[in-house]
Amino acid sequence: MKNYRVLSALLIGMAGLAACSSMPEGNPALNQARADYRNAEADPQVAQYAPAELQLARSSLDTANATFAKDHDNKNIDHLAFVAKQQVGLARETASQRAAEAAVGAANGERDQVRLAARTREADRATQNAQDAQRQAEASQRQSEASQRQSEASQRSADAALQQAAAERLTAANAQAGELQARQVAVDADGRARALEAAMADLAAKKTDRGMVITLGDVLFDTNRAELKSGGTRNVQKLADFFRQYPRRTVLIEGFTDSTGSNGRNQELSEQRTASVRAVLLDNGMSAERITTRGYAEAYPVAGNDTAGGRQLNRRVEVIVSDDSGVIAPR
Amino acid sequence: MNNASLHRHRRTLSAMFVALAACASVPPPTGQMAVSRAAVANAAGAGAGEFAPMELKSAQDKMERAGRAMTREDYAVARTLAEEAQLDAQLAEKKTQAAKAQKAAAVTQEDNRVLREELERKNK
Repeated sequence: MKNYRVLSALLIGMAGLAACSSMPEGNPALNQARADYRNAEADPQVAQYAPAELQLARSSLDTANATFAKDHDNKNIDHLAFVAKQQVGLARETASQRAAEAAVGAANGERDQVRLAARTREADRATQNAQDAQRQAEASQRQSEASQRQSEASQRSADAALQQAAAERLTAANAQAGELQARQVAVDADGRARALEAAMADLAAKKTDRGMVITLGDVLFDTNRAELKSGGTRNVQKLADFFRQYPRRTVLIEGFTDSTGSNGRNQELSEQRTASVRAVLLDNGMSAERITTRGYAEAYPVAGNDTAGGRQLNRRVEVIVSDDSGVIAPR
Repeated sequence: MNNASLHRHRRTLSAMFVALAACASVPPPTGQMAVSRAAVANAAGAGAGEFAPMELKSAQDKMERAGRAMTREDYAVARTLAEEAQLDAQLAEKKTQAAKAQKAAAVTQEDNRVLREELERKNK
């Protein structure tokens, strides 16, 4: 009986010791769970990727703590602490998995970006190449245009040379033609001169310093009168024909008498006779501005007045034909 | 037998009764056993043998002990062991998944590096 009492007291004491010994350090499994939880809670990856799992671990740990607070010896504490510890581990591994998955997603995105960048570069390069080709083509174009212009310029200078040659030929031809013409003109002039000479000869014209002079003698006028006889009129008509052929030439008609009779009468007669010649010329279509008349009475005799023959020569009308410029030198 | 010792005996007896009552009140954790067994199988199937061998081994051991506890009808112990086996299996599977994900991330990042290098060469 006594033995039994001692044994039971010893058993109770041992149990109490066991309880006491665990008290200051707490439950090792629970301590481990608490430490694990603190570490997980401090891990930003867990906070970011597994907050729900961490919360679950927290409530398990709370349960274990509450149980421990109520009864340090509860044999369920180890199990509850184990549950909390494993849930912390689950939270950690979940966070790790999700972080890795996120990394895979990011890497995939990055790969897409790298590929896109590569394609963009390729496209840029293709564009660049195309632009280079374009520029090259344009340069060739410009070059060929320049060649074209050059060849056009050569063509033009060749054309110009040809034109010049043609012009020179033309000039030469013209010169030849001119020469021919000149020769022709000369021939014509010769012809005209000969015709003039013939006409003058026909009119018994004399060449003098003042020009061609046709003398209408006294026999062509009635004695002491101003009117032309029919022969005189024919001579003046021939003269009018001549002036029609040489329209640039003008005529000066000068009247002279012998010294017989009064000076006033002689002056009057000489003027009247020139007027008669003028009238015939006008009648035959010669214009008045080409005709000038002068009466000189007995001045400028061509023979002596002492004989009848001399006096007859002095009674005359001289028709002086101008040169081609229409000028007659004054007496 | 004196009064005090009788009292002490009664106390011990009542404690024994309480323990017995507790035993009798714990039903067999059949559902928990099935759940835990499935969790261990999943972990093994996920490749925990390679990536979390210690956790898997622990889960398998606890499962075995839970089975033995079931056989001797120690249901409280069976439940506790089964629960712990489930947690071990879950952790083993999660560790395996995390390791695989990290491997995949490393492979993808390496691929990217290679791709970038290749493109760099190509662009030169």
